[in-house]
Amino acid sequence: MKAIAVIDRDLRRFRRNPVIIAMSVIMPIVYLIILGNSFQGKIKGIPLAVVNYDSGQYARRLMENLRAVEAGPRTFFIVNLNDQKAAVNGVREGRYKGALIIPPDFSKRIILTTRPELGLFTDNTDAISSGALNEAVSGALREIKSGYTPIRENPSEVYLRGEDLYRKVDYDQSLVPGVVIMAIFMGTMITGVFNLVMDRFLGVDESYLLTPLTKGDIVTGLVVSGLFITTLLALMVFVLGVLITGIPLSGGIGQCGAIFMVIVLTTLGLLSMMFIFLGRANHPRIVGIFSGFMNVILFFPSGAVYPIASFPGWLKTFARINPEAYAVDALKALIFKGVRFHAIIGDIAFLTLFTLITMTIAIMTFKRTL
Amino acid sequence: MTEKPLAIEVSNLTKRFGALTAVDNVSFNVSSGEFFGFLGPNGAGKTTLIRMLTTLLRPTEGRAVVASHDVEKEPGAVRYSIGVVPQAMTSDLDLTGWENMDIYGRFYGIPKKQRRERIAYLLETVGLSARAHDLVATYSGGMRRRLEIARVLVHRPAILFLDEPTLGLDPQSRRVVWEFIQKSRGEDSLTIFLTTHYMDEAEALCDRVAIIDYGRIIAIGSPDELKAQVPGNDIIILTTKGIPPDTEARIKVIPYVHNVKIEGDVIRVYVDKGAQNVADLIEKVKIIGVSIEAVEIHRQSLEDVFIHYTGRSIREEEAKKVSFLVGAGVPSKLR
Repeated sequence: MKAIAVIDRDLRRFRRNPVIIAMSVIMPIVYLIILGNSFQGKIKGIPLAVVNYDSGQYARRLMENLRAVEAGPRTFFIVNLNDQKAAVNGVREGRYKGALIIPPDFSKRIILTTRPELGLFTDNTDAISSGALNEAVSGALREIKSGYTPIRENPSEVYLRGEDLYRKVDYDQSLVPGVVIMAIFMGTMITGVFNLVMDRFLGVDESYLLTPLTKGDIVTGLVVSGLFITTLLALMVFVLGVLITGIPLSGGIGQCGAIFMVIVLTTLGLLSMMFIFLGRANHPRIVGIFSGFMNVILFFPSGAVYPIASFPGWLKTFARINPEAYAVDALKALIFKGVRFHAIIGDIAFLTLFTLITMTIAIMTFKRTL
Repeated sequence: MTEKPLAIEVSNLTKRFGALTAVDNVSFNVSSGEFFGFLGPNGAGKTTLIRMLTTLLRPTEGRAVVASHDVEKEPGAVRYSIGVVPQAMTSDLDLTGWENMDIYGRFYGIPKKQRRERIAYLLETVGLSARAHDLVATYSGGMRRRLEIARVLVHRPAILFLDEPTLGLDPQSRRVVWEFIQKSRGEDSLTIFLTTHYMDEAEALCDRVAIIDYGRIIAIGSPDELKAQVPGNDIIILTTKGIPPDTEARIKVIPYVHNVKIEGDVIRVYVDKGAQNVADLIEKVKIIGVSIEAVEIHRQSLEDVFIHYTGRSIREEEAKKVSFLVGAGVPSKLR
């Protein structure tokens, strides 16, 4: 079969470019490390200036609660100041993300129930930090009227009892499926149709367009060689991601086989899709621009970082036809929930159908002439 | 005498890119085993024509039959019968010379044993056996070109298309390339279709030559036939310091002068018996008032045929050639 010669040519050329191989593995891992450490799923360590003018019991209790947050969830760290003006200026100058002012009559007003007030000045240009501070200070404030923590539950109160269905998943662990998908995306941008564009750019494509290779031979050959390379890269990224974040994989061969299948199908689908969009491009710059664009519109609505359920309606509709969304869903289910193959059958069916359709269109629309 | 079968039949072939007509209603035939040259300046339509004949471009109008197969209706069959060396270097730099040839042979489905023997023979013939397992990135331009010519012979094509194969090569590499092509022609009874703007190359190698300019064939025949169409066996080239307005008309009336062409400060005078008449011509031209700086006599060549038909030298066009990178990324319809 002549397509095997196309695959062989492509693989040999790729093997002689170790820098590309190394970069394709390192970049998603660096992404995992940076994103995993920069955000961590929760806001931590925001500088909060506190000016306490009140020595009453409720002010003391509020300070204790704030210190509990500082020591526990670590949403903020407290910088005690004596001057309200200095605290607010500190926020304006960027030293603090917020300034909490406890007025002298705070405790007294609580006792007299005469509308007690606190002042929280936040840098609202940073919506995430500002929101997190508001939430954390409000939480600390809600508890100050309780003199003690009840040991027994009050039968007249309604309690919400949280139960985790699955083992705990750390934030950096939760990024691994997305990082694997990103590695697949990057792999598909440096293999498959990219090699065709480079050949066209360098004028090398004539050498095989002049041979009896059919459209099917060329497209299939390049897609399959891209599949080998990208699958290998994605598996390397997956293994490194699992080792770095410490995900316990206890599903055995069945789990690994299903993960492998999702990676292969996603790779095939993306490679074929790229062929449709870039099959007639003649400059690597076009691939560069296109890959940046596609990475954003496929990756972020995939559910890899933010839950699809929180998207607006139109973006949810897009997620329904986004192959990366199905891939992320399947990988998350397999890696974190330990589900069996039948639980991801819908994702597999979509990815298979997507691959078949895109591959067919890619072969049909590929132009065999210059 | 029986006529040789036709290897290439071209009838009214035209290719347009928007408003630009690159090849304009071209018709010609090439017999089997013939060495046929297509001569013309850059941009004349040579590459477009070769790309249509080799199935890389669809003709806008007309018909071309290559190795008894219609290029539009049976492109696959045409590709099995031809070997093409495009103008640009197309070998893979990341592969070795051997790998380049081997993968190419696999594109044609040649069995492994047969492929290995053929590749070894061809590499030996082009003098690349010792470098067969080096990456092509380490080859010189001449070596790479030899490899590419050897590569397209792996499947023993009936017709070899060569699009400016010696462009940019040094004289020694050009000679090696031509020796190899001549040898292959003899061994495999190849029909060779060559495009070039090197007049000497076409004159020395081709059985017949077609001259193309602005997409149209302006002359066709053997080099001798073409030269015979231009009156005067010799050309006396006079480089002057300035030419008075009526010079051309006054030289033309000299009895042994067949034609006169003036390009800038250069006068080309087509004469019989150039060596015998040169002294007399100089005297007469001086009388007209032309101040002569240099005099040169040469036998008529295809270059002169080209000038005869187009009124300009083919070499003037060479300076216009730009890097193949210019225009990359621009949709082909705009190019």
